[in-house]
Amino acid sequence: MNWLLSVLFRLMLTGVLAFITLPIAVVIAASFSPTSAVTFRPWEWTARWYGDLFSDRWLLPFVLSVKIAVTVSIVSGIIGVMAAYAVVYEKIRGSEVLMSVLLSPLSVPQIVKGVAIVLFLSLVGLQSFLGTPALIAAHIVLALPFVVRMVATSIANFDRNLDRAGQILGASKRQRVQHILLPAIRPGVLSGMTFAFIISFNNIPLSVFLVRPGDTTLPITVINYLEYSLDPVMAAVNVASMIFILAVIYLFEKVGGFSAQLYGGSK
Amino acid sequence: MNSIDIELVSVSKSFGTISVVKDISLQIPKGEFVSILGPSGCGKTTTLNMIAGFNQPSLGDIRIRGRSQGRVPPERRNIGLVFQNYALFPHMTVADNVGFGLRMKGAARSEIESGVASALRSVHLENYGARYPRELSGGQQQRVALARAIAPRPSVLLLDEPLSNLDLKLREAMRLELKELQQQLGMTFVYVTHDQEEAMAMSDRIVVMWQGVIAQQGSPASIYRHPASSFVADFIGKSNILKVVGTSEQEANIDLRLSGSATSLRAKRPQHSQQVRFCCVRPEDIVVLSDSGEADGRDVNRLSGTVRRVVNLGPSLELAVEIDPNVLLTVLARSALSASLPAVGDVVALSIAPDDVQVLPE
Repeated sequence: MNWLLSVLFRLMLTGVLAFITLPIAVVIAASFSPTSAVTFRPWEWTARWYGDLFSDRWLLPFVLSVKIAVTVSIVSGIIGVMAAYAVVYEKIRGSEVLMSVLLSPLSVPQIVKGVAIVLFLSLVGLQSFLGTPALIAAHIVLALPFVVRMVATSIANFDRNLDRAGQILGASKRQRVQHILLPAIRPGVLSGMTFAFIISFNNIPLSVFLVRPGDTTLPITVINYLEYSLDPVMAAVNVASMIFILAVIYLFEKVGGFSAQLYGGSK
Repeated sequence: MNSIDIELVSVSKSFGTISVVKDISLQIPKGEFVSILGPSGCGKTTTLNMIAGFNQPSLGDIRIRGRSQGRVPPERRNIGLVFQNYALFPHMTVADNVGFGLRMKGAARSEIESGVASALRSVHLENYGARYPRELSGGQQQRVALARAIAPRPSVLLLDEPLSNLDLKLREAMRLELKELQQQLGMTFVYVTHDQEEAMAMSDRIVVMWQGVIAQQGSPASIYRHPASSFVADFIGKSNILKVVGTSEQEANIDLRLSGSATSLRAKRPQHSQQVRFCCVRPEDIVVLSDSGEADGRDVNRLSGTVRRVVNLGPSLELAVEIDPNVLLTVLARSALSASLPAVGDVVALSIAPDDVQVLPE
């Protein structure tokens, strides 16, 4: 009986993992497709589609997406730390209300948010704001709940005796935040910032309303391209951005050491 | 040497409607090793936190070197504190931990380095500066915490049950080291603990706290020999505490009638005239007479009873001797009288000098 359950469990697990990974495997295979139609012939392959990526058509959107994602990651990191500090650490008056306001963007569908932002901007006559500034602002709103959540958890787990130890050793409040609290919550802050980066970099539903023609982010460029053609270049773009995201996660992990959440300073 | 480092003047502290510390007054002279000793919930940690500045007294005043602390925050009190859980900064090396206080005060680099080196030397961890706290054992972490607290050279060091997370062997070794360190530095130590052995071993003076008040204070010896109440007698060391129902005074002595028993004990007449409610006798002050015929003519209490229990502690034997159905005495006898070790069921003769019977008002 037990072995049957165990076998069933393994089968289910394998199925779920296959469902997640196989499409990716197909995309990877397609990106090496020998003909301009998407085909799967592993014995015959070419990397030439990857060469097409180094054209302005793909490079400019990529650079724009990176610029936006970096800005979003940094700004939402800063705002997120300050907000979580005020709400969780200092427990300022009305902190619960503030927390729900900060997390509220989670409960509004992105399409609705996108439409709302466009309507709002044209209503107040700020159409010129559309494009990169609007994208950055909208992505920050979208990413902030994730950053706040991550940082809030880190701060809640912070051992306040460390702060007292700093205090009795003569450290002012500012010194304690700088030298004790921030290093202690750094892994949480960096993982929040990683999320913010990825959320911004991959975003379609919100961005689709806010981009300016001819100045689009990478995912929007992909969508536009897909309307007219499905070819191995498409697959190559997706594989490349996947590798890029993995590299970003690796980099943040290197700097922040999420795996050392508890003890920090993994070196 | 006689200047007062810390003074508590009628200090009370309540949290909501619960009063935790009730009107405590205490003077701690410079260079003394003072233990605040009491069971959990007696208010000792709250008292420590008020001295450190983490809690404000509800009433009364705390003075450090004669200056009222009022609203002086902890970071400006120039006090060291060793935490029970060490509270080392996990992201800093041992050297950075120890140098933290000096760094925050903006000391010069050379001053920080020499301060760190000398603090680490005094806790015998010279070669551990580059390690991280998580790479150290509990005992080593405790030493780092100690070094970190003394490195900025505070005038007073507060210690909040610093040894309670260590195993027994290490704890006993650390007691001696702490005492030596305190004498070397000439620093005032205020040591909070619930462990009476620790307090006895290290302190110049013990302040026994109970239910938010000071039950007694004095040297370890005087508290042990002359407990002021049955609580102190029971809390400090082992004690036979007997309820007294009547007394009759005889010149320099007083005879105590024990509750529910025909037995009476003779004690030295107390200085005070308070009613005697209890008396206490330390187990090691009860002498087992090897031969019931032995008599040395001194004015002693002579009792006889039946041995009900024998526990061999190695260097000594702990006996439970039933004098009568309502009086069971714990007796500590040296194993040296091994020629005839008492066994359960034996009838033994005991003697207690009146000097060793302490009368207690409560």
